Amino acid sequence: MKDKKEKSSNSEFTPKVVGFLCNWCTYAAADLAGGSRLEIPSSFSVVRVMCSSRIDHNLLLTTFFKGADGILVAGCHPGDCHYGEGNYYARRRFAQLKKVMETLDLDPERLELVWVSAAEGNRYAEVVSDFTEKIRKLGPNPMNSSTRF
Amino acid sequence: MTETTGIPVVLKTDNGVETPVREFLGQMLDSGAVDALIMPLKVPSGDSFAWILLNDAGMLDDAVPFPAVMPVQGARALRSLTRKEKGDLTVLALMRPCEIRAGIELSKLGQVNTDNLILATYDCPGAIPLQDYVNDPESSEASFKEMFTTGEPGENAKPACRTCVNFSAVDSDLHFGFLGISDEGMLVIPGSTRGAELLQKMDIQSETGDKLLPLWKSEVESILKKRTAARDIAFKKTESDIKGFSGMLNVFSNCIGCHNCQSACPICYCRLCYFGSEASRSNPEALMNQAIKRGGISLPPERIMFHTGRLAHMSLSCVSCGQCSDACPVSIPVADVFSFVAEQTQSTFEYKAGRNDGKPLPLRDFKKSELPGVHELVKDAEPGGASHE
Repeated sequence: MKDKKEKSSNSEFTPKVVGFLCNWCTYAAADLAGGSRLEIPSSFSVVRVMCSSRIDHNLLLTTFFKGADGILVAGCHPGDCHYGEGNYYARRRFAQLKKVMETLDLDPERLELVWVSAAEGNRYAEVVSDFTEKIRKLGPNPMNSSTRF
Repeated sequence: MTETTGIPVVLKTDNGVETPVREFLGQMLDSGAVDALIMPLKVPSGDSFAWILLNDAGMLDDAVPFPAVMPVQGARALRSLTRKEKGDLTVLALMRPCEIRAGIELSKLGQVNTDNLILATYDCPGAIPLQDYVNDPESSEASFKEMFTTGEPGENAKPACRTCVNFSAVDSDLHFGFLGISDEGMLVIPGSTRGAELLQKMDIQSETGDKLLPLWKSEVESILKKRTAARDIAFKKTESDIKGFSGMLNVFSNCIGCHNCQSACPICYCRLCYFGSEASRSNPEALMNQAIKRGGISLPPERIMFHTGRLAHMSLSCVSCGQCSDACPVSIPVADVFSFVAEQTQSTFEYKAGRNDGKPLPLRDFKKSELPGVHELVKDAEPGGASHE
């Protein structure tokens, strides 16, 4: 968006970014963003989950190992969870996986957690664009591209 | 270090350390203080040990309180006994500190019920790698004896034991301590009120252990210093070995995918694991697609994913017992990696696996405001909805 020039100079690589979106907030925000005709990177794939705490470590790792360059986990703002406190647990679980990736030096910055409410269509578009751009700068994920294992 | 509760008792060790422990436990059985024991017994072939649930004091003659190896992690024995319910009988389990810690961790996971268990442990000098022991039981016994007298693991112990910092004074009901006081005897130190009551009930006539306690404590601390230093060195090496995805590949390159590390792990108890389940299987098209995209993929797939996934799933409860390395048929230093990662993930939540300090498992708990570094990308200042703490 902001760095359109840089984007075009480096256009060979289109990152595959997967978003796991909470049904009750961020998924609705995505809907709102679409309805408002905001620009969302076309390489961003959405998986709808009923709660951010539904996301298991293996779900994220499998996504990485099977070809994702970046993963965005998005849920309700703290205090706003549809089920009361699911996002607090999600945050803990997320922090743990992030720490494992950090310790193993597996590009932890490719994994991100954000809170986007159903009313934040603009923010959704911004977050997704920024994250996709960040991953594009990082380049292909070594977990699935430079290796055969 | 765990504080002692109540007054320790002194056992005479003129006939070695095993006899007084056998007598002490026999006395416990005879007096009805406990109904049964879980102890290691030598297997008939003589080259290993098995956990035996026994209530016949006569069988204690064959029991080996301090075995040289740990074939089956003791926590698995505890789990097999109390998985369904706690049972009516009081059972004393004498195990290595890491086995007790794994048992405590499993009790938090609902796999072990410690209500009617008396957890007893001792100053553990380390264990001999299982393969070494099976190959040469006699010389292994000799080197274990040496480890036992010095209290230091030395070169013959499992790598996990050489860098173990929880070899003594872990949370337990009773602790047999002999480091630094072996000339005077052996201390039986109560670590909980239950342990203290038990000792009182037995009414052992002995000089009080108060005099020996500081000697024991200072020796434990001095050994702890050495082992902490060894652990720091080992962690540094592991950190550079596993750096990046290529490092992971190098360390686990020989992995034959047998999942022995998982089977031996006391914490990995799930009946249905994702790895090995139907959900983890790919259809040929998906694999072909990946192969085309990357230029090739290894078959069977997901070898590295297996270890990464296991790290993510169980590292918060890892007690660094080293069973995974012992079980690996191709000598991958699995435990080194797991201990290192476990240290990092547990410290993220200021959690110590195996402690009985009332702290819940990190993933079963949360604070409303915590982990500020988790989401950095976000210009998060603008809350979208109602209440935020």
